[in-house]
Amino acid sequence: MMSSRVIPDNPLSLSWQDSVWIPILNTSNVMDYFSQASNPFYDRTCNNEIVKMQRLNPDQLQNMTGLEYVLLHVQEPILYVIRKQHRHTPQQLTPLADYYIIAGVVHQAPDLASVLNSRLLSAVHHLQSSFEESSSFAKYHPTKGYSWDFKSQRANLEKAKKEEKPREEPSSLFQRQRVDMLLCELLRKFPLPTPPQPKSLPAAPIKSEPENGPADTKDAKNEIKQEKIKPPPEKKPRIH
Amino acid sequence: MTNKLNKYEKIEFLGEGQFATVYKARDVDTDNIVAVKKIKLGSRQEAQDGINRTALREIKLLQELHHLNIIGLLDVFGHMSNVSLVFDFMDTDLEVIIKDNTIILTTANIKSYILQTLQGLEYLHLNWILHRDLKPNNLLVNANGVLKVGDFGLAKLYGSPNRINTHQVVTRWYRPPELLFGAKQYGTCIDMWAVGCILAELLLRVPLFPGVSDLDQLTKIFGVFGNPTEENWPGVRGLSDYVDFKPFTPIPLKSIFTAAGDDLLDLIEGLLVLSPIGRRNCTESLKMAFFSNKPAPTAGPKLPLPQSLRKAREAQKPTLKRKLLDKMEGDILAKRLVF
Repeated sequence: MMSSRVIPDNPLSLSWQDSVWIPILNTSNVMDYFSQASNPFYDRTCNNEIVKMQRLNPDQLQNMTGLEYVLLHVQEPILYVIRKQHRHTPQQLTPLADYYIIAGVVHQAPDLASVLNSRLLSAVHHLQSSFEESSSFAKYHPTKGYSWDFKSQRANLEKAKKEEKPREEPSSLFQRQRVDMLLCELLRKFPLPTPPQPKSLPAAPIKSEPENGPADTKDAKNEIKQEKIKPPPEKKPRIH
Repeated sequence: MTNKLNKYEKIEFLGEGQFATVYKARDVDTDNIVAVKKIKLGSRQEAQDGINRTALREIKLLQELHHLNIIGLLDVFGHMSNVSLVFDFMDTDLEVIIKDNTIILTTANIKSYILQTLQGLEYLHLNWILHRDLKPNNLLVNANGVLKVGDFGLAKLYGSPNRINTHQVVTRWYRPPELLFGAKQYGTCIDMWAVGCILAELLLRVPLFPGVSDLDQLTKIFGVFGNPTEENWPGVRGLSDYVDFKPFTPIPLKSIFTAAGDDLLDLIEGLLVLSPIGRRNCTESLKMAFFSNKPAPTAGPKLPLPQSLRKAREAQKPTLKRKLLDKMEGDILAKRLVF
C-alpha cells in the first residue's frame, strides 16, 4: 500500500492497491475502495466526499458543480473503470482522467501523447542499442583496415543470451490491432490539417508523379537539359 | 408612544421563546420588513431591574453596535408594561440551513458563512463584548445571504481583570471545556470554540459534540482531542470543577472531516484547541490561508436557501408563461391603440 500522499510528477508511473480489499471487490463497493484516503488518485475535496461527509443522498451529486468521480465501466470481476470529471451543470461534464482498476490495482489511463512518447522512446532506444552492439563487432587491423569479427565475441554473446530471461512479447497481435484501430479512429475524428495548395499549380501532375516515378524523373532531367541547351541562342543576340 | 405603536403593522407570528414573542411586521413609514420582539414581563425576580435582564442586555449593547454582520436594533418602544424591540428581519438561520437535507453546503458556501460570522464576531470582540451564546440557531441569515450574529441575551462586556462571570453560559454542545470545568474568568476564546463547533457542524451536518450532560460533553470532546494535560493546557487541574477522565486516544481531524482540504483543517485546528489560550482569535483566524485560497466564498445572493423559503419565493415569482402572456396582452393592447 502507498503510504505517502505526495503524488510524484508523473501519475502515470504510479499504481495503488489495498490487498485487504482485493478479494471482496465488486461493483457496489469499488467506489468505496477507490475513495480510500491512502489512494493517491483520489482527491478528498471532491464532491463525492462532501456528499459522504454531510450524509446527503448520493443523487445530490448531479446538482453540484466541481470535481467528482463516477464508475464508468464494469467488467466483472476483473476490470473497473472510474472517471474523474468536472461537472458544470447537471448535463454538462468535462472528463479529466480515467482510472482503471485491474485485478484490484489502480492505474491512471495514459493519454495518447504519453503512449506515443513512450513508444517512440523505446524504439529509439532499441535502435541505439543495436548500433552500439554492431559497433562492438567492428575490428581494425593496420593492414586489412576495418572488418567485422563475429567469431571471437560470439561465445560471450551466447552466454549473455542464456543468462537473459526470455523476454515477454511487448504487445500481442490483438493489442496492436486495437491500438491501430484506435489511432485510425482518432485520425478520422481529427484529420491532419491539409496544407493550403497554391491555385496556379494544376493538381494532376503532382498525383501522377508517384505512379510512374522513373519515367517522370527522366522527363524532368530531359527538361533540365533542354533548358541548359537553350540559353546560348538567347545570349548570342545580346553579344552581337 | 401610541405614535410608535402604530408605526409597525403586524404581518405574522414568527415564534415564541422563553423571554419573548416575535412577530414579522412592516414599518408603515419606510415599508421595510422588520422583526418585532415583544419582551415578556417575566417573574418579579426577573424584572427586578425594572425590565427583563436579557432584554436590557440586548438594548444596552446593540444600541451601540453597527456592523453588517451584527443584527441591527432599529427601534425600541414600550406599550403598557411591555417593551418591544425592533430588529432587522432575517428570513432564516444556520440551524435551519444545516438541517435541510436538500441543501448542499459546498466549501465555498461554508467559507462564506464562517467568514461573515468571524467578521461580525471580530467587531464584537474588538468592542470588548463577548457573545456567550453562539450556535447555529443564533446566526441569522436573510434571503440575500447576509449572515448576522443575533440574540445578545447573554452577551456581556469583558476585559476587567478579576471580574467573576458565570460559567453557565453557552448552549452545551458549543460550550468550551474550560467552562465545563467551571472557569469563571474567561475571554474571547469561549466564542472561538463555539465558532469551531459551528464550522464542524456545517461540514458534518450534525453537531460535532452532542453531549447529553456536562460530563458527557467533556467525554465527547476528549474522545476527539485526547485528555488535557498540564503540558497541553497549563493550569487545567486548578479549575474548580476539574475531574480526571479515563484516557482517550486522540482521533486525527482528517478522519472526521474527510472532505476538508488542508487549509480548512488548519482553521478548525486553530479554533478547537483544548487550552483556551492556544485558540486563535477572530483576527488571526481571518488571516488564515483558508480565506484567501480557492474557492472564493459564495456571493450572498447565491447562497442556498431552505426548502420552505425557496417554495415561497417560487410561488411569488411570476412564471415564465404568465410573463409571456402579460407581454402578449401588452402587445395586443398597443396594436389596438395604433389601429
